[in-house]
Amino acid sequence: MWTLETVQKVAAVDPAVWRAILRLMVLARKVDEQIIKLCHQGRIHGSSFTGIGQEAISTAAAIASQPQDLFGPCIRNLALHLGRGETPLGIMRQVLARSEGATGGRDGNIHHGRLENGVYAMISHLGAMISVVAGGVMAKRRQGIQSVGVAFVGDGTTSTGDFHEALNFAAVFDIPILVIIENNHYAYSTPTTGQYRCRRLIDRAVGYGIDGISADGNNAAEMYVTVSEIMEDIRVNPRPVLLEAETMRMRGHGEHDNFKYVPEELLLLYRRRDPINLSVRAMASAKLMNAEEFAALETEIEAEVAAAARQALSEQEPAADTLLRGVYADA
Amino acid sequence: MREINYLQGIREGLHYVLEHDPTTLLFGQDVGAFGGAFKLTEGLQEAFGIERVFDTPICESAMLGCAIGMATQGMRPIVEMQFSDFITTALHQLLNNAGTRHYRTGNAVPMVIRAPSGGGSGGGPFHSEELEAFFCHMPGVKVVYPAFPSDARGLMLSAVADPNPVVYMENKTIYRAVKERVSDPFEPLPIGKARVCHEGMDAVVIAYGAMVHEALRAAGELQASDGYEVMVLDLRSLKPYDLDTILSAVSATGRALVVSEGWRTCGFAAEICAAITESAFHLLDAPVRRLTAPDTPVPFSTTLEARYRPNATTIADAVRQLIEF
Repeated sequence: MWTLETVQKVAAVDPAVWRAILRLMVLARKVDEQIIKLCHQGRIHGSSFTGIGQEAISTAAAIASQPQDLFGPCIRNLALHLGRGETPLGIMRQVLARSEGATGGRDGNIHHGRLENGVYAMISHLGAMISVVAGGVMAKRRQGIQSVGVAFVGDGTTSTGDFHEALNFAAVFDIPILVIIENNHYAYSTPTTGQYRCRRLIDRAVGYGIDGISADGNNAAEMYVTVSEIMEDIRVNPRPVLLEAETMRMRGHGEHDNFKYVPEELLLLYRRRDPINLSVRAMASAKLMNAEEFAALETEIEAEVAAAARQALSEQEPAADTLLRGVYADA
Repeated sequence: MREINYLQGIREGLHYVLEHDPTTLLFGQDVGAFGGAFKLTEGLQEAFGIERVFDTPICESAMLGCAIGMATQGMRPIVEMQFSDFITTALHQLLNNAGTRHYRTGNAVPMVIRAPSGGGSGGGPFHSEELEAFFCHMPGVKVVYPAFPSDARGLMLSAVADPNPVVYMENKTIYRAVKERVSDPFEPLPIGKARVCHEGMDAVVIAYGAMVHEALRAAGELQASDGYEVMVLDLRSLKPYDLDTILSAVSATGRALVVSEGWRTCGFAAEICAAITESAFHLLDAPVRRLTAPDTPVPFSTTLEARYRPNATTIADAVRQLIEF
């Protein structure tokens, strides 16, 4: 939450970091917009899932991280993938199921990640990746590496048994893992009122004996300051922390979903609080970037993303006779 | 040579891998200072320290998730399910998370899940289940099931060395009942190799786990009472299973009985029967038979449980019917 202290910390953020944050958010937005376009053109097999409106959260974690850190992204964390080294071309290959993509066409849309970037490929069972990240960090710590984990979950995930098991497990072993709840008001069509009864989701932190912190998930600077402080703290004082970032899913669960169940006023409210626009305004008033510079940034990124899409579209899906390959690792 | 029991065979396998491979870890509920619900891990925490042998809260899903995380970061975790029945609260971690990972991402997941299985000792419905059919159904997962102390040691080495998730099934009923004279040092036993543990030409009984010992008793009984020479084949690995050796045994005998203490419908015995029928129908002198537990929950009372599990007598009866077909 905004306090004088937060304002001062945000003001102290290095301009180069500010620019990196804005660039990553815009990159994620443009890639997502390209995915939506490809999806509605019928070029993507199945549906598509984007993180539009939630870019600030992943961006903050990616920019605040160190190379040895581990991540468990969920559905709306494209910016995390891009911030940890995946390329727009890699994303296009993944969503188009091209053989050169991260999963080589074995899995679709969001279920990818590269271990060399410290990013675990998610599974659809929500909450299942928190303990995976925790275990990865435990392993790294046993190898003497000062790694920190970040697992992203949604408000719906907090209702699962896996969420509970993993947080309790991480608390018992003092595992340095930041679990970020992206509270975007809806789990598919179910509003938070149908998901839980606690006032704030971080109230649950008390039950695990850990710290729970809230932040404005649409304010990139606040997210960055909050996440980097937590990550650096738990890096030296290992323990899990729960962070609830309030945000809004600006599209349906996937592109197949017209999200008529979301009141227009709520979308309007968050359209005014778009994380990219908020950052651009803040940076303009701090004289870090003017309108022309921002327009140039957008143009440059749009060209990069369009080129990536063209390249991926020109490539092939995996050959059918590779179906049986790679079920097992070779002994 | 010295004599050890089945439980000691598993423990010696664990001791060996913990001693020789610094990337191995063993964790589960009550496995540390307490030594495990069956005292199988007794002494291991003392020998290798609390960082490598440790207790967890009761959280089967988080335990498997943690193992996946470790396995993908250069470690070789071994997770004990206190009773294999409890893995049902974590099946998604095995089926979807561990089992799909290499296929989807190319990242190996070398982890072992120890699954104390089987009934016969009054465990009732939730401490006796035999779930190999669940595990064998999962792409990307391997399943081993030793029946003898020496195989238990050797398969532990291979399971831990394997770069894939391996379910290491162990039968609780024979932990202390089955003994064997073993030699030292010992070698890894390759996954996927069955063993003929009793020779015979009149029929073959294909079994695994505790049922191998019931089959051996049945073979002895049939020899003594009927003069039948019955081969007993111990599968030892269930996925992959040793089809070549199964077919050789069927070819030699022409009559096959598959025994499992798991449930009948869609059980592992059904898989073996189907494989034999598909590949060796022309070699059969009688229809392949299976003897399994019925499709009921595992019952508690001695009377019901004795009826529930196949045993030497019911196996011998089934073999007689097969030979006299």
